[in-house]
Amino acid sequence: MLITPAIVALQLTALGVTGAVLLASGFAWRILRQWDITSGSERQLRLERQTYLVSTLLGFTLGAELLSLLLFVHTAESLSGQFTGAMCATGVLNVNIFGFPALLLKIAVFFLAALWLLLNRVDNRGYDYPLVRVKYGLLLAIAPLAVLEGAVQTAYFLGLAPEVITSCCGSLFSAEGRGVAAELAGLPPWPMLLVFYGMGGVIAGSGWWLVCTLTPSPSPTGRGGIAAALLAASSLLGFGIAIAAIIAFLSLYVYENPNHHCPFCLLKAGYDYVGYALYLPLFAATATGLGAGVIAPFRHIASLQTVIPGEVRRLAGLALLGFGLFYGLATWLMARSNLILLS
Amino acid sequence: MIELNGVTKLFNQGRPNQCRALGEIHLSLDRGGITVFEGPSGSGKTTLLTLIGCLARPTSGRIVLDGRLLSNLPERFLTEVRRHTFGFVFQQFNLIRGLTALENVMLPAYPLGRPWRELRAAALVLLDRFGLGAKAASRVEWLSGGEAQRTALARALINDPAVLIADEPTANLDSILSREVLALLGELASQGQTVLISSHDPLVFEAARVDRVIELHDGHIVGDRRC
Repeated sequence: MLITPAIVALQLTALGVTGAVLLASGFAWRILRQWDITSGSERQLRLERQTYLVSTLLGFTLGAELLSLLLFVHTAESLSGQFTGAMCATGVLNVNIFGFPALLLKIAVFFLAALWLLLNRVDNRGYDYPLVRVKYGLLLAIAPLAVLEGAVQTAYFLGLAPEVITSCCGSLFSAEGRGVAAELAGLPPWPMLLVFYGMGGVIAGSGWWLVCTLTPSPSPTGRGGIAAALLAASSLLGFGIAIAAIIAFLSLYVYENPNHHCPFCLLKAGYDYVGYALYLPLFAATATGLGAGVIAPFRHIASLQTVIPGEVRRLAGLALLGFGLFYGLATWLMARSNLILLS
Repeated sequence: MIELNGVTKLFNQGRPNQCRALGEIHLSLDRGGITVFEGPSGSGKTTLLTLIGCLARPTSGRIVLDGRLLSNLPERFLTEVRRHTFGFVFQQFNLIRGLTALENVMLPAYPLGRPWRELRAAALVLLDRFGLGAKAASRVEWLSGGEAQRTALARALINDPAVLIADEPTANLDSILSREVLALLGELASQGQTVLISSHDPLVFEAARVDRVIELHDGHIVGDRRC
């Protein structure tokens, strides 16, 4: 096992998150079974008081979980010089079988944690704990994933043996290879380009529609809800298509090499750390777009009627801004490149 | 207007020194008039006013204000309710030493963000109303007991609360000053203010202006008479 300050920080974060979600899960289970806002019983009042403490604790730990994804990727990238055969984070994640599962779990927990934090933010603004069951129900779904993520990450770091000869990104993200990465690398550029910009249009359209239709008093036709669901779905789909587009053609333009499909080399200093500028707005936009869709259906709750429309519009605006930055930067990277991929 | 349903308050719950300050209080208080909570020391008067004024939460039971549940509100909402609905007068006055009477009166209104000139004018009107206009610039430690209690009254009214809560307001005053404070409270009640007083001073609960006397003993209501 390698021990670096970043790995220690990641492990401490995983330990903290695992401990917090396990502790909070017991409380969440009690909330789901015993919560009764109409009751003035001692048990109900105790639950009401404890929910402040538990949600504050979770707010900090899940906030740390969001940051740990960035640190994990940065750490994998920074360790690439330590392993024979590793040129970037791909090689480091390939050192053992836990690397990529840990990354995928961290991405899944990132989005779920972001949704929990957004639900918690809205719930705290209602006077009668309107989403308390929803957010603690979601926590019960997050908890096993967070624990699994902590375990897989630990197994990954424990298995980081410097003598291992790993394979570089060229073999994994190759159109001639096998597996999901190779499939993505082998996607035809032209259709992918059309899908990529088409999806951008759908996201922009649904976001704009949501901003226009979600008025402070809920629409009787429910179109605001449809627009929010469309934005959430298109954000999630747009995220997948954006990752596929990065692997299929965007990376080629950045590297100016028709055979280099790696989505991690973008994080290197040699490419001006452009990966961070692409991924940060993409992840933030996806999380806020999903959040808008998850929160909007609760706008009919009396204590949230004045809160949710503004919150959903803000989230939709942030999603549009994030996707706008991502698409703008992606387009600029292609426009400035010397590679002629499409004629 | 204010309803208490099965309100209980335990201190040091689950410890050997657990103390039941209030037990299963059911009570309905109408808008307007003066209600006095009477009882010996330790009977639960102050605890009850503290719960009604949202300064503490019950151990069990619900408190409802104008149909809205108060006792389960998250803290940020309780703060708003305290600021807008309740004005407090304490036994020890609790004025801030080193500040003038005017500054003390203005203090509870600062978080609401009223324009300073408007706020100052409102505070001066209140001080004038209680005969303290000339003392506005005096530090509170220079005021007599009666003046300090009247300043505390003015401070309690600066946010125009619906309910004025006074905990033993005459405990540190002689009988002349006590009558003076009671007259002021009576005047407020006659203008529509709801006044809730805790006291074990006969001068208070036997006063002519009092509309209702609720007697407490060992945390339970043992008497309730309308005057």
